Amino acid sequence: MFRYNFELAAHGLRRFPRSSVLVVLTVALGLAACMTTLTLLHVLTADPLPGRSQFIYQAWVDTVQGKAFTTSADMALNGVSASSGYQRIKLGDAQALLAAHRATRQVVTADVISDVASGDGKHVLGSQVILATSSDFVPMFGVSLRYGRNWSAAEETTRVPVAMLDTDTAQKLFGTANAVGRRVRLGKTLFQVVGVFSPYAPQPHFYGLDMGAYSSDGWEGIYLPYTAALDAGLGPLTTDRCDASYRAPVGSLPNDPAHCASLGFWVQLNSPAQVAGYRTFLTHYVEQQKQLTGFDQPATAKLTSVAGWLKQQDVVPDSVRLNVWLAGSFLLLCMINVAGLLAARFLRRSGEIGIRRALGAPRRAVFAQHVLEAGGACLAGGVLAMPLTWLGVWTLRQQGSEFSGLVHLDPLMFGALFALALAVGMAVGILPAWRAAAVEPGLQVKGE
Amino acid sequence: MSIRILFVTLRRHSLMPSLVLLQVALACAILCNVLFLAWQQLEPILAPSGVDAKGLILVDQLNLPNGAWTSAEVSAGTQALREVPGVRAVSAGLGLPMVPSYLCVMALQGPTGAKVGASCYEGEGLVKTLGIQLVAGRDFLPSEYRDAGVASKGLVTPLIITEALARKLFGDIEAVGKLLGDPGDKSAAHYQVVGVARHLLRNQLGMANHGRADDTVLLADRVGKTASLSYAVRVDPAMRDIALGGVRRAISRQFGALLQAGYLAQVSFYSTRRDAAFKTRRAALWLLLGVTLTVLIVTVIGIMGLTGFWVQRRTRQIGIRRALGARRVDILREFMAENAFIVSIGVTIGMVLAYVGNALLMKQYELPRLPWEWMPAGAVLMLVLGQLAVLSPALRAAAVPPVVATRSV
Repeated sequence: MFRYNFELAAHGLRRFPRSSVLVVLTVALGLAACMTTLTLLHVLTADPLPGRSQFIYQAWVDTVQGKAFTTSADMALNGVSASSGYQRIKLGDAQALLAAHRATRQVVTADVISDVASGDGKHVLGSQVILATSSDFVPMFGVSLRYGRNWSAAEETTRVPVAMLDTDTAQKLFGTANAVGRRVRLGKTLFQVVGVFSPYAPQPHFYGLDMGAYSSDGWEGIYLPYTAALDAGLGPLTTDRCDASYRAPVGSLPNDPAHCASLGFWVQLNSPAQVAGYRTFLTHYVEQQKQLTGFDQPATAKLTSVAGWLKQQDVVPDSVRLNVWLAGSFLLLCMINVAGLLAARFLRRSGEIGIRRALGAPRRAVFAQHVLEAGGACLAGGVLAMPLTWLGVWTLRQQGSEFSGLVHLDPLMFGALFALALAVGMAVGILPAWRAAAVEPGLQVKGE
Repeated sequence: MSIRILFVTLRRHSLMPSLVLLQVALACAILCNVLFLAWQQLEPILAPSGVDAKGLILVDQLNLPNGAWTSAEVSAGTQALREVPGVRAVSAGLGLPMVPSYLCVMALQGPTGAKVGASCYEGEGLVKTLGIQLVAGRDFLPSEYRDAGVASKGLVTPLIITEALARKLFGDIEAVGKLLGDPGDKSAAHYQVVGVARHLLRNQLGMANHGRADDTVLLADRVGKTASLSYAVRVDPAMRDIALGGVRRAISRQFGALLQAGYLAQVSFYSTRRDAAFKTRRAALWLLLGVTLTVLIVTVIGIMGLTGFWVQRRTRQIGIRRALGARRVDILREFMAENAFIVSIGVTIGMVLAYVGNALLMKQYELPRLPWEWMPAGAVLMLVLGQLAVLSPALRAAAVPPVVATRSV
C-alpha cells in the first residue's frame, strides 16, 4: 500500500513539472537561508573547550583602592561605555590565590605584546601577542605538547626565563617545529624554549576577550611564565581599574599589575562541592583583604563559569541571532507559499481524487498519498538546499568580519538540514493533503 | 453589486484567500524590518562627507606605544610633508574623517537645553586642508590655537560646528558667536561657536545614523604630546599619484626610525579609506538586498500561483457573468479589487506583526525602534506588488469567453 501511495506521489510530482520545480525551489531557498544563519550561530555558540569548559571558572575579587569608573556625559551621548566589564585582579591577589592552592588547578592569564626574535637575531616577528600565564595552563586548558615539556612551578616561582612556542611560531623563527633548547629574545631578555605545542585556538577566546572573541588566524603563539614576563618588562596589554594613588611613569601605559587589576584568574573545580567551597574561600579572602587594606567598595568576590562568562560578555553578536530570526520567518513565509501551491495543485485533481474515493480508496490512503508528495517535494528541496547553503556560507566568508573565516559546514549541520526538510515537508503537506482527502466522492463524479 | 459578489466568493472559498493573506502579512512584516535594517547600514554611506575628497591623503597609525610625540617632532613632520612636490596643505590632526584609530568625543548643551554628543577633529588648519565648506562665521584665527590636551580652565574654547549640530543646539537662531555648555559641568559656558560648516561626517561610523551623521565639531587644538598622531595632506589632484609616493617616502624618512618595529604608518587616499571603512556595511547591504528580493519574488510567485488556480476554478462562473453582460474590464477590475482587498487585510496584520516583531527583538537585542513611517511604506510596497502579481491571472480571467457558460468544465 505504501509503495502504491509512493508511486502515486511520484507520478503527481512529475505531472506538473513547472509547479513542482517552483515548490522545490521555494523550499530550498527557505531551508538554505535558515541553515546558513544557523550554521553561523552554531559555530559562534560552540563550546570553546568541549569536555573541559564545564569545570573551568573565572575567579574575581575586587580589591582596587579608588573610585569606580563612571561613564561621563560626553561618553554616554556618544555611545562609549567606561567599564570594559572584564573581571581581572591585581598581582598580589593572583599570587595569594595561586599560593593558597584551593582549586584542583589555577592559572593567571594576561596578553602582552612584543617583538620576538630568534636568539641569533636572524628572524624577527613584529608585534606578537603573547600569553603570560602560569604552569597549570597547559594541563588545565588542554594544550597539546608536541616537543619538550611544560615549565615547572619551581621555574615559575624562581622567575626563570623560559618559554613555549607553538609549531607555527617555531617554524617561522627557527625553520623547524622542534625548537626545544633554542632561545628567543623578547625586548632585552633571552628566553629558553622548553616546549613546543600544537597551535591552540579555542573559539571564542574566552580567557582574553579584549583581543577579540573570534579569530581565524589563531591566538597567542608564545606562552611565558607571568613572573618572567613581568621581569622582562612586558606589561599586560589592557587593564581594568587601577588604585587611585597609582601614577604611571611618564610615557608608559598605566598597566602595572601590582596596582591595576589586569590579570585574569581561572580555576578548575571538578565538583559542585568544590565550587561551593571555593566560592566561600574567595568571599573570606576578599573580606580579609578589606579589613587589611580598607578599600571603599563592598567586599565582592565572583566565581563565573565559562558559559556564564560568555553569556555575560555578550560574545555572540546580536546581528547573528537577529539573522536567525529573519531567516526563520523567511522559512515560514516559504512554507505558507508552498502550502498554497500544493493546495492549488491537489485541488486541481479533485475529480481524480473523487474517482479514487468512489472506487473505494479510504480517506487515509488519499491523505497518505498527498503527504508523501509534499514530503518528497520538500526532501528534494532539502537536497537542493545543500549547494545553496554552501553558497550562503561562502557569502558569509566574504563578509570580512572577525569570525567570517571560522564558518564552515559540518556533517552535523547537514543532518540537521535533512531533519528540518522532512519536518517542513510534513508540516507543509498536512493542510493541503487534508483538504484533498476531504473531497466528497459523489459530488465530484457528478460534477464531472 | 460587485462588492457583494466579492464577499460571497471570499466567504465560500476561504482557503486560498487566507493563504494569500497570511503570505502578505508575513512578507510585509519581514520587509519592514529588513528594509529598516538596510537603511541603518545605508545611512552613513549616503551621508555627505563634507570634505573635498579629491586629492586628500590621510596618514595615520603613527603610534608611540610607550611615549608621546613632541611638538617639535610633529612640526618637523608637517614641514617635511609640505616640501613634497604636489602638496598644497598639511595639517597634523587627531581624530580625522574615516580614521577611526583615534576617537575624540565630546558633549554639548545648547541654550534650548538639548544635549548632543559629537565626534571632534583636532588640528591646525583643518578647514583648509580637508576642504570644509563654511556657511557662516569664520575659520579659527592663528591666535586661537592651543596645545592639545592642555586643560583650559576658565577659558572659552572656540568651536566650528556643522549646520546639523547648529539646528539641534540652537534651533532657528543664528549660531555664530553663541555660547555652548558642557552637560557634564554646568557651572559655566565652555565653548563659543565661531563658524558653521555645511557638512562634516563623523568618524564614529557606528553612531552615524538616525540623523547623527553630521554631529561633528572642529577644535582649535595644536597636536603634540600624545602617543597617537595623524596627518591630513591636500595635494594637487593632477599629481595625486606622484604625491602619494612622495608623502610615503617623507613619512618613512621622518618617522621610520622612531616607530617601533612592527608598527607601520598607513598612508592612503581618503577614497581608499572610505572604501575600507564601508566594506562590511556594503557586504551587509548586499545580503539584505538579496533577502528583500527573495522575499518579494517568493511572495509574487505565491500570489500568482494561488490566484491562477482560483481563476481556473471559477472559469465557469466568469463565463456566466460574461454571458449575463459583464464586460472584460469588469472581470479584470473585480480580480484586482479582490486582490487589493485581501492584501489590505494582509498588510494591516503585517504592520502589527512588524511592530510586535520589532518590539520583541528590541527587548533581546540592541536594536532601535522601527519608526512608524516604515510600516505604511512596506504596506504600499506590498499593495503594488499584489496588484502586479494578480495582473496576469486577472487578464487570463478577463479573456474567458462568455460561451464557456454553456459548456461543462
